[in-house]
Amino acid sequence: MEYIRHYVANLFSDIFKDHKKKLQPKEMADIEKETGFTENQIERLYSRFVSLDKGNYGFLTREDFMRIPELAINPIGDLIISSFFPERSNSITFPQFLHVLVHFQQIGNRNGEGLTSRMKKLRFAFNVFDQSCDGYITKDELLSVLQMMVGSFVDEKEISDVAERIMLEADADRERGLSFDKFCNALAKTDVEKKLSIKFLD
Amino acid sequence: MVSKPTLLLFLTLFLAAPIYCEVEHDYLPGHPPDHLLRTADLPSDHFLGGDLDNKPHSSEEGHESGHHGFEIAHVDFTRVEGPFVISLWIFCASLAKIGFHMAPKLSNVFPESCLLIVVGVAIGLLLFHTSSVSVSPLTPTVFFIYMLPPIILDAGYFMPNRLFFDNLGTILLFAVIGTIWNVVTIGLSLYGCGLTGIYGFELPILDAFLFGSLISAVDPVAVLAVFEEVHVNEVLYIVVFGESLLNDAVTVVLYNMFDSYTAMGIENIKYTDLLAGVASFFVVAIGGTIIGIIWGFLTAFVTRFTNHVRVIEPVFIFVMSYLAYLNAEIFHLSGILAITFCGITMKNYVETNISQKSHTTIKYAMKMLSSSSETVIFMFLGVSTVHDQHAWNTAFILLTILFCSVYRAVGVIIFTELANHFRIHKLSGVEKFVMSYGGLRGAVAFALVLLINKKIVPLQPLFVTATMSMVYFTVFFQGITIKPLVNILKVKRAVKRDLSMNQRIHEKTLDHLMAGIEDVLGRMGNNQIRNRFKHFDNKYVRPCLVRDYKVQNPKILETFTKLTMKDAVELTKKNRTVPSFNSFFVANDSGSILARDATNATSFTHIDANGQWNIDLGEIEYCPSTRDLTDAKIHHLLSEELGRSHHRGSRRLSYSRHTLDDREFLNAEVNHSQRHHVRRMMGDTVRKQAQRNSRKKDDKKRDELTQNGSSKKLHDDYVHQVIQETEGRKKEGENNEDLDGITFTARGKRMSDQQVSVLPPVVITTNDPDVEEIDPEIATPTATETQLPWKRTEDDGPVKQQEFPTWITNKDYTAYNSPTTTFLGSIKTSMEPTPSVINLFKSEGDDVKTTSISIPEDEDKDAKP
Repeated sequence: MEYIRHYVANLFSDIFKDHKKKLQPKEMADIEKETGFTENQIERLYSRFVSLDKGNYGFLTREDFMRIPELAINPIGDLIISSFFPERSNSITFPQFLHVLVHFQQIGNRNGEGLTSRMKKLRFAFNVFDQSCDGYITKDELLSVLQMMVGSFVDEKEISDVAERIMLEADADRERGLSFDKFCNALAKTDVEKKLSIKFLD
Repeated sequence: MVSKPTLLLFLTLFLAAPIYCEVEHDYLPGHPPDHLLRTADLPSDHFLGGDLDNKPHSSEEGHESGHHGFEIAHVDFTRVEGPFVISLWIFCASLAKIGFHMAPKLSNVFPESCLLIVVGVAIGLLLFHTSSVSVSPLTPTVFFIYMLPPIILDAGYFMPNRLFFDNLGTILLFAVIGTIWNVVTIGLSLYGCGLTGIYGFELPILDAFLFGSLISAVDPVAVLAVFEEVHVNEVLYIVVFGESLLNDAVTVVLYNMFDSYTAMGIENIKYTDLLAGVASFFVVAIGGTIIGIIWGFLTAFVTRFTNHVRVIEPVFIFVMSYLAYLNAEIFHLSGILAITFCGITMKNYVETNISQKSHTTIKYAMKMLSSSSETVIFMFLGVSTVHDQHAWNTAFILLTILFCSVYRAVGVIIFTELANHFRIHKLSGVEKFVMSYGGLRGAVAFALVLLINKKIVPLQPLFVTATMSMVYFTVFFQGITIKPLVNILKVKRAVKRDLSMNQRIHEKTLDHLMAGIEDVLGRMGNNQIRNRFKHFDNKYVRPCLVRDYKVQNPKILETFTKLTMKDAVELTKKNRTVPSFNSFFVANDSGSILARDATNATSFTHIDANGQWNIDLGEIEYCPSTRDLTDAKIHHLLSEELGRSHHRGSRRLSYSRHTLDDREFLNAEVNHSQRHHVRRMMGDTVRKQAQRNSRKKDDKKRDELTQNGSSKKLHDDYVHQVIQETEGRKKEGENNEDLDGITFTARGKRMSDQQVSVLPPVVITTNDPDVEEIDPEIATPTATETQLPWKRTEDDGPVKQQEFPTWITNKDYTAYNSPTTTFLGSIKTSMEPTPSVINLFKSEGDDVKTTSISIPEDEDKDAKP
């Protein structure tokens, strides 16, 4: 008896989950229009979203992200995770998830033009550095990124020298730090369009 | 202008020809030509094989016939013949190269390879008509064993790894599938045309495929030679060049396959042979790659232990990669793949292990070897053209050229379409054109066609001629026209990028970011694979292969080092006022400064607050002129660059035993501490305020760090402080009559008896009361500043002051008994974690430098505000 009840419950939840898994056509059309992803891409991303969503909440938490093993070994993994979440929020829904990913569309993609310009990409990259979201990359923020990348073996002072040098080179404002304009200048010769693009599978 | 190069060219010809002819005269005419073809190469083989003794000495015969007395002079050319001829070849080729570059008109239009072939042909003609024998110095053995490896090693070792692996998929697609496509289509088309009877002879299908397999491979030597001058964008370059490198495996396998098939005869071929052919491809390609990678790791491992024998470091790199090549050739695996991957693998590890100088040596030696062997290859190609074995068949040759070009273009279009489906950087139409146009054939094909056994394939002479024509067509026609075409079509060129810290950091971050996004998407992408590899590399491989493994991201610090070095050099270049750098290392320079200051009359007119004349020579006023400040700047810069280099153990400036002069500014290692000072000096004055902020922090840190003995950092600091303060003051105190706003005069010791414990024996007279407001940070009492009397203000409270002149607190003086270094003194300071004899001597040398430097600095410090 107990067993059967359990089975039924499982079945029910499965059906329920399946129901949730599918995006509503209207929802889909909205997203498609807004982001420029194709239907297939959105479905693909949605299934990824669901598989990341271990708790079946319909939204992703920071913990969900941290469970991705590769992200755990990424030196700036924390920053990347933070970049997905709007300020002071701890969860993102699927549309929000897509809104982050839309930055990485290739330029020249049909609809997403407005969202995928070079500036938008740069802005996203800038915000990864700018943890305090005040529009400036401060030296301390830079320092923390450097420390993550270079590793713990290196003398702290040496890193601080490097950071200092970076700030000077980019002609950053001493008090406030590196502004977005200066950041763009520093990356003027980098092929940001190609570098910050991902081939989304259809 | 034209005459000079022409002269050189003629000189080349006339030098080369007669002597080579003389060599040829040793072999009697009338030999069968194919025998001659082999023997003509004997000298070089002998030389390179090292068995010179086997040679008959013709001069000895002369001895026997004549009288046996002692000869004063003696002609014995045969003894040195081999090496002599080889050297002469290289000499002539290089001479031709010089001549070529002296004529800018010529070198703008033609690629170098064309000229070398022309010179080769000229020499060949000369040889042909004077010695009436055919000469072919370019034998497959010489080519594959001696001439090809240096070129490929150079390509592999200096391969832009990142670019290469990012585009690896596309490269492999072209190298493997593209080459097979070319072989099949060219072979089939030639065979099909043969059926129509257009050639006037029968072309067996296997021979057609054999020829197709050797003619279809893009040649790395030719591609390098041409593309180096064209400067197309990196992606395009790496795709074409990578293809030419990696298609070797396919070429080797297909060639060997069809070679043995022709030997077997078409009726004897079974399906198993075909399958064996396919299997052999994987064995050859993967086997070659693995052998290369293993040798690469071995090399890196060996260089981990070479820090005591720096001079032989380059030897390992060259010999071990050559061993990798030969090792692969033993098993008939792809030697080119082996040596390429050996270079790619070892590079990153080796670079961190070896010294800066070994690095330079390797770089130049490698470039030299590869460029001279490239030169010689093209020249030999020219010489080899001239012989009387040509079998010309217009239809066959024209069709070969046509099919090669057409199928290359078709293949490129098909495969780029396929590749673009997966690529972010889509290959555009123009790039496709350049790719198909860049499918140059060269010496590899020629060497392979010479290998064909004439008895099995009677059409060999025709194949040789056809290959030759194909090579000429691609090198001349395509090589010459590619440059203007690239200009006309506006192919995206390579962007010259300046090294910049920001770019380095931000791009690295972006890479990590993209890897993270790929993780989130749960897809394997380039970035993710790279990140995983780096993680693995940092965790397991580097600790094994790298001697001083510390940094996870060495590139960041490397860039930093390079940039600071550049700044330093630039700054010194700017300041032409400095007579010579050497003067900074002369100890008694301080004496001259002292004397100069002493003769400055104003020094003696100063009376301190208590009406005492200051006549202490050691504490006279310091009146810096602009030049003094420049001196101080540069001095400071250089002392940092040179003096402290040994503190960073991982890559030392030099190994003392074998280096001649370590004071090379350009290659000197940079110590990472305080480097931003350099930048600061170059920066605007606008930034000054901010800089002081940071210096405040630095000062504190530095004090913690340098409690023990080394006061050098402090010196440096104060030099800067002075520089900045003086400059600042000059700006702000423009209206002051006395530009030297502050004067410090030391008080005589006699009268300060009561004050000793209460007040410093210095009175500060400030003409400019704003100084404190202008620069409040300077006054912040760090440990050092409170100890230095003139840094103190009255409200700092009493500081215990010793009854000694101020310089007594300088640790440089207390550590040793005298300013000049004693041996024991240096032992103390050189107590590094692993004291070795080398360290001892090295640091002694450095100490001599620093102390000798520190004398003038002390003067500055004592007297400066």
